[in-house]
Amino acid sequence: MTIEALAPPPSATGPAAWLRKHFFATWYDTMFSLVFAVLIYLALKAFIGWAFVDAIWRVENKHLCTHDAGACWAVIESRGRLILFGLYPYEEQWRSTLACLAVIVTIALSCLPSFWSIRRLPILWVAGFTTFVLLMRGGFAGLELVTSEQWGGLSLTIFIFSGVFVIGMPLAVLFALARRSSLPVIAKSFGFFIDIVRSLPLLTLLFAAAVVVPLLVPDWLQGNKLMRVVIAFAIFFAAYQAEIIRAGLQSTSQGQEEAAVALGMPYWSLVIDILLPQAFRNTLPSTINQAVITFKETSIVTIIGFFEVMASGNAAIGTGEWGNQYVEVYVFLALIYFVFVFGLSRYGAWLETRMRLGHA
Amino acid sequence: MHDAAISIRGLEKYYGDFHALKNINLEVPDKQTLVICGPSGSGKSTLIRCMNGLESYRLGTLNVLGLPVGDDTKVMDQVRKRVGMVFQSFNLFPHLTILENCVLPQVRALGRDRTAATLEAMDQLKKMHVEIHAEKYPDQLSGGQQQRVALARALALKPEIMLFDEPTSALDPEMISEVLEVMQDLARADMTIVCVTHEMGFAKAVADRVILMAQGEIVEEGTPEQMFSNPQHQVTKDFMAVVNG
Repeated sequence: MTIEALAPPPSATGPAAWLRKHFFATWYDTMFSLVFAVLIYLALKAFIGWAFVDAIWRVENKHLCTHDAGACWAVIESRGRLILFGLYPYEEQWRSTLACLAVIVTIALSCLPSFWSIRRLPILWVAGFTTFVLLMRGGFAGLELVTSEQWGGLSLTIFIFSGVFVIGMPLAVLFALARRSSLPVIAKSFGFFIDIVRSLPLLTLLFAAAVVVPLLVPDWLQGNKLMRVVIAFAIFFAAYQAEIIRAGLQSTSQGQEEAAVALGMPYWSLVIDILLPQAFRNTLPSTINQAVITFKETSIVTIIGFFEVMASGNAAIGTGEWGNQYVEVYVFLALIYFVFVFGLSRYGAWLETRMRLGHA
Repeated sequence: MHDAAISIRGLEKYYGDFHALKNINLEVPDKQTLVICGPSGSGKSTLIRCMNGLESYRLGTLNVLGLPVGDDTKVMDQVRKRVGMVFQSFNLFPHLTILENCVLPQVRALGRDRTAATLEAMDQLKKMHVEIHAEKYPDQLSGGQQQRVALARALALKPEIMLFDEPTSALDPEMISEVLEVMQDLARADMTIVCVTHEMGFAKAVADRVILMAQGEIVEEGTPEQMFSNPQHQVTKDFMAVVNG
């Protein structure tokens, strides 16, 4: 006996069917779709008109920049270098560009799982940061000396962020492990230390590092101000990240530790090969979150006299000449932040998918 | 040289006020297969976990391969390299492939180089009939397959004693036999085995000796035949009636 196959249901594919299903399925779907379509259209039209159609691009046409005109992007042409490089000497700004690229390449390479080994990462980081400092500072092979007080703009922002991350992450691991130590003295004192750091405002810590430390510490130990600030920031980051890692460690099952112990694996291997990879994997969303927050928080170093990209942006509109173009400058700054933070978020999402497939 | 693979005298273990193990005396000769059974909460898992130092004990002596099991980390390293263990919940490392699960412990615990470790791992995986899964991750395997991988991982270290802590209790019924089969092969190959299990079929097939524990004490011990056909203690009779259905 044969069973006659039913004809497949009427095909619900194609753009028209898709539109009907997602936007016009019911009368209220249709109503909302239309209202929002109109709103989006109006908003886009206004923005495109302002940002592109009526925009003034060249400095020659600066006289056209009036309140009624579109965006005055001429400010970026005129002041872009100030925003990107801060107070860094004009003729030497190619060095700042290269240094910035060196750190960006270092960050990008650190994101590749093939670099995640206890030997490769430190080599990569030392190489990346040495390149950055040598290029930025100069003072050899005919390169003019530029001290860190003159560093600024985007390269400073990226340097501070990656410095905080690279110093802070190993510290965070150390804090988390110490807090879980079976020796009560170590566990308690690190717990107390983490709580204290978290209870202090970031600004206070940075001020202390910049201003108070030189009063208390002998000269040879002081380093320079930028270094102290990055280290203080890194400790602050580590206090938060340590708790994230600790949560990750606690979420790995007791059985993992027992299996490694029963197999005779040494403690360092248990931590590095078994517990930490799982802890990072379990807490990836929070870790990316913390990285994003830290990137945005770097702008706080302005207050102790560093011209990172936000402060440079403010300086660009601080003069009377471009005083009215603050919206354009902030849109430009927002775009810079967006590129980095959005990239970070997408990277996090990619890692999560990859790990869910079990390949990391 | 030592006479017994495992030698326990007057072992006492407490969890807070709870007296978990009471005056345990036990000798496991070389190449013997010992099955520990008993109702849940009787202390059998605690006892087997004491044997490789996963649990500490308060009083008594516990020697494994002539080494005193205790707090000395150097001695414990020796013990754990020579004593393998398989757990109820497999405890494979979920972020590593099946192959890497078997390679890494060899590299880290024994300092074997990767090439040799990989050969050994593949060899063990073949014996457990899971070599085709070498590149997969643990959560892609069935429970029975995972437990056989866990066995391969332990055996790759060439242990002299194998401890099994309820190896089939977390498995679906149709997967129990595939794990028991490889365990039986191991027992027939003269490995010293201590196994906590409710699988009396396994005990009948390969155990040299069965001990029954209840409330932290060894209640009765004997050959499988004695224990199954002629139990002396009421606790043993009740237990056998339950597990034999």
